This record gives sequence, C-alpha cells and structure tokens, in this order.
Amino acid sequence: MPRFGWEATVADAPETQQTTSAVVEAAFEAQAPGIKRAAVIGGLASASGIALTATSGWLIVAASHQPVILTLLAVIVAVRTFGIARPVLRYAERVRSHDSALDLLARRRVAAYQALVPLTPARLGRRSRSDVLTTAVEDLEDLVFAKVRVVVPVLGLAVAAVLTVLALGLFVPAGSLVLVAVLLAQVGVSALGRRMELAAQQDWLRARAEVARTATLVTGYAAQLRGIGAGPQSLGWVREAHLSLSVATRRLARARATGVALGHVVTGVGTILAALVAHWAMGVGLNDAVAAVVVLAPLAVGDAFVGLPDAMGAWARARGSEARLRDLLDQPPAVHDPAPLPDPLPIRGISPLPGDAGLPRISGGESSGSGLSIDVTGVAARWWPEGQGAAYDVGPVTLSIGAGEHLVLTGANGSGKSTLLAVLARHLDPAAGSYRLGGVDVTTVPLAEIRAHVAVVDDEPHIFASSLRENLRLARPDADDGAIEAAIRAAGLAGWFDSLTEGLDTMLGTGGRGVSGGERARLALARAHVSNRPVVLLDEPVAHLDHATALAVLADAHRAFAGRTVVMVSHRPDGLDGFDRVVDLAELADT
Amino acid sequence: MRPIDPRVFQALPEARRIMAGLGALGVALGVAAVAQAFAVSAVVVAVVRFGMPGAPGLLTALLALAAVFAVRATLGALNEAYAARAGIRVSAALRERLLARWLAAPVDRMPPPATASTLATQGVTSVEPYVARFLPAMVGAVVLPVFVVVTIVFLDWVSALIVVLTVPLLPVFAALIGRATQDHTERRWQALTALSGHFLDVVRGLPTLVTYGRAERQAESIRTVSEAHRAATVRTLRVAFLSSAALELLATISVAIVAVTVGLRLTYGTMELGAGLACILLAPEAYWPIRRVGTEYHAAADGVAALGAALDELADAPAGVSAPAIPTRFGTDGVSYRYPGTERVVVDDVTLLLPGAGLVTVTGPSGVGKSTLLELLAGLREPTAGVVSAPEAHLVGQRPLLVTGSLRTNLTLGLDTPPNDDALWSALDEVGLGDDLRALAGGLDAPLGDDGFGLSAGQRARLALARAILSEAALVLLDEPTAHLDDRSAGLAHNAIQRLARTRSVVVVTHRPELVELADAEVRLGGDRG
Repeated sequence: MPRFGWEATVADAPETQQTTSAVVEAAFEAQAPGIKRAAVIGGLASASGIALTATSGWLIVAASHQPVILTLLAVIVAVRTFGIARPVLRYAERVRSHDSALDLLARRRVAAYQALVPLTPARLGRRSRSDVLTTAVEDLEDLVFAKVRVVVPVLGLAVAAVLTVLALGLFVPAGSLVLVAVLLAQVGVSALGRRMELAAQQDWLRARAEVARTATLVTGYAAQLRGIGAGPQSLGWVREAHLSLSVATRRLARARATGVALGHVVTGVGTILAALVAHWAMGVGLNDAVAAVVVLAPLAVGDAFVGLPDAMGAWARARGSEARLRDLLDQPPAVHDPAPLPDPLPIRGISPLPGDAGLPRISGGESSGSGLSIDVTGVAARWWPEGQGAAYDVGPVTLSIGAGEHLVLTGANGSGKSTLLAVLARHLDPAAGSYRLGGVDVTTVPLAEIRAHVAVVDDEPHIFASSLRENLRLARPDADDGAIEAAIRAAGLAGWFDSLTEGLDTMLGTGGRGVSGGERARLALARAHVSNRPVVLLDEPVAHLDHATALAVLADAHRAFAGRTVVMVSHRPDGLDGFDRVVDLAELADT
Repeated sequence: MRPIDPRVFQALPEARRIMAGLGALGVALGVAAVAQAFAVSAVVVAVVRFGMPGAPGLLTALLALAAVFAVRATLGALNEAYAARAGIRVSAALRERLLARWLAAPVDRMPPPATASTLATQGVTSVEPYVARFLPAMVGAVVLPVFVVVTIVFLDWVSALIVVLTVPLLPVFAALIGRATQDHTERRWQALTALSGHFLDVVRGLPTLVTYGRAERQAESIRTVSEAHRAATVRTLRVAFLSSAALELLATISVAIVAVTVGLRLTYGTMELGAGLACILLAPEAYWPIRRVGTEYHAAADGVAALGAALDELADAPAGVSAPAIPTRFGTDGVSYRYPGTERVVVDDVTLLLPGAGLVTVTGPSGVGKSTLLELLAGLREPTAGVVSAPEAHLVGQRPLLVTGSLRTNLTLGLDTPPNDDALWSALDEVGLGDDLRALAGGLDAPLGDDGFGLSAGQRARLALARAILSEAALVLLDEPTAHLDDRSAGLAHNAIQRLARTRSVVVVTHRPELVELADAEVRLGGDRG
C-alpha cells in the first residue's frame, strides 16, 4: 500500500492538536511531482512552437537567395521536427498534467477528509451543514485544478522563455536582450492582471453567491412564495442580484481585457524593437535569415503567452477557495478527547474498547437493553471559543434524566435546545458544569467510547448512495438482515419496505431510488434502532415534515425506543403523548 | 441537445444578437490577424532587403505594424469585455425566465427542488461559455477560412488551392474521431459520474458517519475510489486530447505543404519573398478558427447539457391560466386531484361553495387531501377533473415561509404597497405577537435569521397569520394555523381569524374543535363525506 506523509505524522504525533494541524497542512501542501514534469513538457511544446516560427522564417529568407536545395535540408528537417513535436508534446503535457492533478486530488481529498472528521459536526456551522460540506468539496477541487491551470502554463512558459533567450543569444545577443525585455514586460502585465482580478473578485464572488441564494430560495419555496403572492417580489430579488453580478463581472472582465490588450501591446512594441535591432545588426554584418528570426521571435513568444491572462484569473480564484477552505479546516475541534485513539479507529459498535489503563468505563446499558442515566449539573456551553461570542449559547442548566426515560426538550427557537443536545452527544465540550452519563464524568472517558453509546438523529439525515442494507448497517456493522428488517418495521417503514421489489438490496440515494422527507426521517430512526445504543438523541427529527406525518413518525419513534433513554428536542408542543416528561429549557436554568 | 439547436434562439432572443456581435468581433480579430501577417512580412522584408529595390520602407512597415497591433489590442480587449457581459446577460435572462416559468406553472410540473436549484444555479451559469465563446467561434469558423483563402488567392493561387483542399479535412476528421469514440466516451462518462459523486456523498454524510463511529474507516475508500476516478478520467481525456492533437498535426502538416511549395518556388526564383512570407504566416489563420471550435466545444459541453434541460423546461406548454374575470361566487365544482404518476385520487369530487365573507373549516383524518384542497383553491395545482373558480388567494401553509431579512420584510412579503408601521403593529397585536416583538432590538427592522431563526414555532405561525391579515386577498387559506400554539395563544389567534372572516372568505384546515365551533360552515373530508 502506498504511504503518504500524513499517515506517518498521525501515528507519531503525541497530541491531538498537532495531529489535526498536520492533517490540515497535508490538505494544502500535498504535492504531485508529476505536475512539474508535465509543466516542463508543456514548456518544450511551447518552445517547439516558437522554434517552428523561427526556423520557418529562416528557411524562407534563406530560400529566397536561391541556394542549392541541399544546403537547406538541415533546416527543413528542423521545421518538420518542431512541427510534429509541438502537438505530440502538448498531448503528453495535457495527459500528464491531468493525471497528476487527479493524483493530487486523491491525496488531498483523503487529507481534507481526515481534517474534517474531528470538526464534525459542531464546527460545520449550526445550519445547512451539508451545504458547508458541499462547498468544501468544490473548493478543494478548484484548488487542485488550479495547479493545471496555473502551475503548468506559468512554469512551462518560463522553461520556453529561458530556452528561447538562450538559443537566440547564441546568434544575436542584442536580439535576446529585446526578448528578455519582452518577457519581463509580460511578467509585469500578468502581475497587474492578477492584482486587478484579486481586487475585483470579492465583489464578484459575493454577487454570485447572492444570485445562487435568491435562485435557490425561489426554487426551494416556489409554492410558498406563490401562496402569499410574493412571486413577482422574489423574482425582483433575483433581478437585483443579477444587476450586482453584472456590475461585478464588468469589473472582473476589465482585468482580463487589460491583460489581453497589454499582451498585444508588449508583443507589438517588442517586434518593433526587434526589427530595429535586426536592422542595426545587419548593418554590422548579420546574416539576413538570422535577422528574420530576430524580428519574428517576440511574435512567436507572444503567441505562447496568449493563455496567461486566463491562468492569472484561475490563480486569483484559487486563492479565494484556499482561504475559504482554511477558514473551515483551521478550527480547533469543539471537543477535547482525553484519550484519542490510534488511527485508524477500529469499528466498535457497542463492544467495549480494548483495555487501556486508568480510564473509567461506562458500564451497563447495552447488555441489558436498557438506557443509561444522564445527569447534567450547571452545564453551560457555547459553539465558538471564548472571545468570538462572549455569552453562553445555553445554560447554565441542571437536568437529570433517568435510565430509560423519554424526555422532550422544548423552548423558543434559538434558546439553546440544540446546543444542550450537542453537549449530550459529546459534539461540544461543556464550558462549565459537569455531565455524567451512566454515572461517569464524560470528560474523563475517551470520546469514541462515549459516542459509541449515543445515537444521534438530526433534521438533515443523509442517505448514502448505497443499498438499503448498507445504509442501515453502518450503524452496527455486525447487524444481520433480521435485525435490520426489524428496525425498518419498528421505524414505521413496514409498508414502504414491503413495496420494495429488491428488499434490502434496493439502491438508495443519488442515482438510486428517491426517498420522501418522511421516509428519510424514518430511515434515520431505523439507523438509531439498529445501532442498539442505549441513549438516543433526536434533534427536531420531524422539523421538515407535514403535521400528520410528523405525528406518525413521533409515535413510531416513541414505540421503537422503548427501554432506551431518549432525549428529543422539539419546538412543537403537540404529538408528544406518551413521552414521560416535557421540559421547557427556560425552566431548567440555574438562577 | 445538439450543439446548435434552433430552440436556443427562440427561447433566448438575446443570444442571436450576442452571437452576431461576438461573431463580428471574432471575424474582425481574424481580419486583424490577416493584416498582422501582411505587416509582419513587410517588416521582415524591409529589414532583410533594406535599401534594395522593391523593398518596403522600414518606417512605413513599422508604422503599419504598430497600427495593426493597436487594433488587435483594442479588439481583443473589447471581445474579452463584451464576452463576459454577454455571458452574464444570457445566463441572467435564462435564469429569470426559468424561475418565472416555475412560479407560474402548477407546482407538480416543477422538477424536484434539488434538481431545479442545480439547474437554476450552476446549470444556467454553465451556459455562459456556450453562448459567449462557442457560438461566436462557430461564426468565425464559417467566415474566416473563406476570407483567408480569398486573401491568399491574391498572393499565390497554388497556396490557396492547398488550403482549400486541406481545410475541409479538419471538420471531417473531427467528425470521424467523434463518431469512433462516441460510445466509448458516453459509457465512460456514466462511470465517471458515479465515481466523482462518491466523495461528495461521503463528505455530506460525514455527520452520520461520525455519529456511528464509521468516519475514519472511509478515508481508505476515498483513496481507492479517487484512484479509480483518476484512471477512468485520464482514459476519457486521452481520447479528447488525442483528437485535438490529431487536428493540430493535420493543420501543421497542411501549413508545411504550403511552406514547401513556397520554399521551392522561392529557390527557383519564381516567387517574391514578401508574398511567400505572407502566405506562410496567413495559412495557419485558415485552420485556427476551426480548431478553436473544438476547444470551445470541450469547455461548453456542460452548458450544452444544461441548456437542453432548461429549454425542455421552458418548452413545456405554459400553465394555460388566462387570468379569468374575478368570479362573483367562488369555490370548487366536482374537483378531483391525483398526483402525477400515481393512481391514488387524493381529492375526490369535491364541490364547495364559498361565501364572499365568512369562515369555513375543513376537517378530516390525515391523508384525505385537506392541504391539497387548499393548494387547488390557491391555484398552485391543476385539478385533474372539475373546475376551481377563485380570486387570487393568500395561502398560509404548514411551514410558513420566512426569509432572511428584517421583520418588516417578512411581514410585507407579497404586498404591492407596504402599509405604514401602525398598520403592521396593529396586525401583530391582533395575533398577540406585538408585545413579544416590541421587545426585539430594532423593532420592525430587527433582523430575522434564515427561516425565521430566533423565533419559536408558535411565533412563526402567528407572524404568518399577521401577514395574511395584512394581505389584500379576498380569499385567505390557512393550513393548521394554530397547531403549534399553546391554548392561550391559539385562543387569540382563533379570535383574529374570526375577525378576518368578517370581511373576507377564510378557509381553514384544522383539527382544533374550538376553531371549528367558530366557523360559519364545516367541510368534512373523507369517510362520511356528503
């Protein structure tokens, strides 16, 4: 198995924090050596193009002296060679650069994924986590493909430029000086173009995001908008966003247009200078065919530089992607793990961890099929570290939940219900107070151990592009088909399941069978059921369902988890019959 | 969709002008490139034949060259700026038309929200390179080779003949390569889509994987699948790159044939240096526009697929709802409804006469189509049988829409003329929300988060009710407006609904007996309907 740098780092690192930052760095720093090789090949292709123009010019001028054809043979061979070499080398560069970029993408994806794991879910934002994750995936791809769009042309042109300057310098040193000036001017033009792109880019990205936001609002809520007669108004928002985008695009296009125009100006001025130098050199005895080469050189180089403004644009864009990705990945985890496990984590389900000394264990629960007690004393928590938001997002609160009790946590939206649930799930460290699960202080037990006792169902459960069986079995890898089927029926999916012709082999998710919002919520409940975990935390599991479906799902959840400890966050006061206790968070606050 | 589809110009009239404008600019750039070939050959001849009879003056040649480069720089910048603006203009127009269509058509004709949102955002954006780059390149590919050949005829008919004979080989060759690899490429793309989706699928499911302790194990599968993706992608790209290399080689060989004949005639002294040089510099300009079409098509391929999907959406017959005269009596007559693609009749032959003002409650067990009936009355769905006659209605659904913005923005959503603050507060007071919200910093300008973040479910429901009170609709439809409220708040809201029904026709779906008691009429759906 090939080994990557980060694996060794993970195994050797004594501290979680260091491990995390090493993995984060790998997500940005992993290199693919093939890209540089591809760039050199691309440089040779560009150099062949330049040489093709130069040798052709030489040939024509030399031929016009009506020499014996044999004396031209060497140049004819050279023209032919360069003519064939250019497309062949360009092909090799393109295949190699894309291959290397995809290799790099594979490595960085693994590293970025590893960096995301300890940040999940608390550091992904409070809402629309799947959107945050989608953006991260896209940014990573942009960043990697910027290598093909920036490094390959820039490095390649540098190679071609050096070769051209050296080759011309052999015959006409003054001519190569003109070429050096042309190249320096091209570098200046590119730097200017990049600066202008960067300056215009922020507005452009913001405008583009606003267009996406308003368009998604309209597509996501078309019926609701029409229902209240706000259709025209919402189209107005989209139109406004388009206006800002149009303004921002003009500014961005100005950067590109300036690069293109100045590129032509540099080539033109360079050709004129070269013509004057050639004229002077012929006066001191330069061969006229070589003089033709001197005149044509800046033109040939200019042709090779045509793609540079685009490369500068890609470079500027990649900077934005990198900044966004860094903001996400450079966060400290929201929970401190008293005993991080060696990587990779073994699958545990609920089986106890192999013995390691000194740390308390959680006992009971899983074997008896009954829940664990939860004791929260004076717990307060905040999503962001101190300084970013001074006040607590929840608490301090005190709450005791008996083993096997079914409790509903209500309260105004934004009052901290989900924050408290995140603490119970060990997604978030308590900033104050103590949290005991099954009588054990959670901050003294390995994170994985606590989490292995808790199943969490949130309001955006993900259905993987896989079979129904695998979608549920991920909650407990040793679950057999019987247990999986029982969980499906317990979650109120019996009718749906019986209608599937392929049973547990039915493919779900992207490219598979679509599932409705109610089925999705129930599949998440079935997952929690399969897991056999003694504590089940439900975070508004029915928030996106209509009234009738919501009531039915809640009733099924209540039945399915009999015996286990259930804490459900809900902002609906109805449909809670059968739960042992309904508690308003406001009543729990310590005074 | 085919690369060029006449529907594009019907659905997007601006595309025609843009194609013409950018096409003309592209042709002008091509003409400037021809002029540059002449200017450069004049400069070369002026330098190497300086002072000889027949050679152009160096100063004149240099001035001509400077002029040509100034023109190229200007045209190049214009082209770049215009292309970017044109791209945005087309994507904005297409997006607005698409959204307007979805806002006008019955909701079940709209694709699922995820599909619709992808098409309206990235999909429409990917149309930009198609319109701003590919279509103008097509214009250039048709016009420029002809222009270049005609120019060469004036210099040297032999070279022109070689170009005329070889230029058509490029599109023929491209078509042959395309056909030979089509099946192969399509099969690969399907496999590729599945592989490239894997990482996104795993990352989006990360919260679930973390919950069940399965996250770390996926790193290995990400590596394996990414490697498989790499291998499959490179195989596909190889074909694409090989065909563009083949075309470049073909063009180079053709130019080389021109160069050899020119060189031979120069050697025999039957041709002028200036004409020969110009021929060789001009010849590539005949092949380049055709090769450019291939390159731009490669970049616009996503756009072609998205444009096809968007045009299909726009081509669907419009809703066919010609604004009827406002009926004097409204209601439904024998209305039935069945979701498209299903057999089950959700609403079955319902006849309902609504008063001009008054409160009608709709009750019944879950799943009998109460919400669907409201949507039929609101005109959001098209009945499969029967007639709905109703004025423009205000429908408050079970999940009332609240957008990111101020309290005021949310209260006045859908109102043509926003009422003054007093009217807004009195509507809030009527639903018992005034005191809660006066406490907010900023009052009516207090910001609400996404989806009303910061308000409780009950507050959200009452805010939506206040919005219904403020609306001018003659027909107000409420779907479970008080399901999320405690009894006290529900009482207040019920009174507000009753007051609203004095001046307007109000239809409420509810399971609250207190509200049913306040109603002027009750419609019971399902079971003992009659």
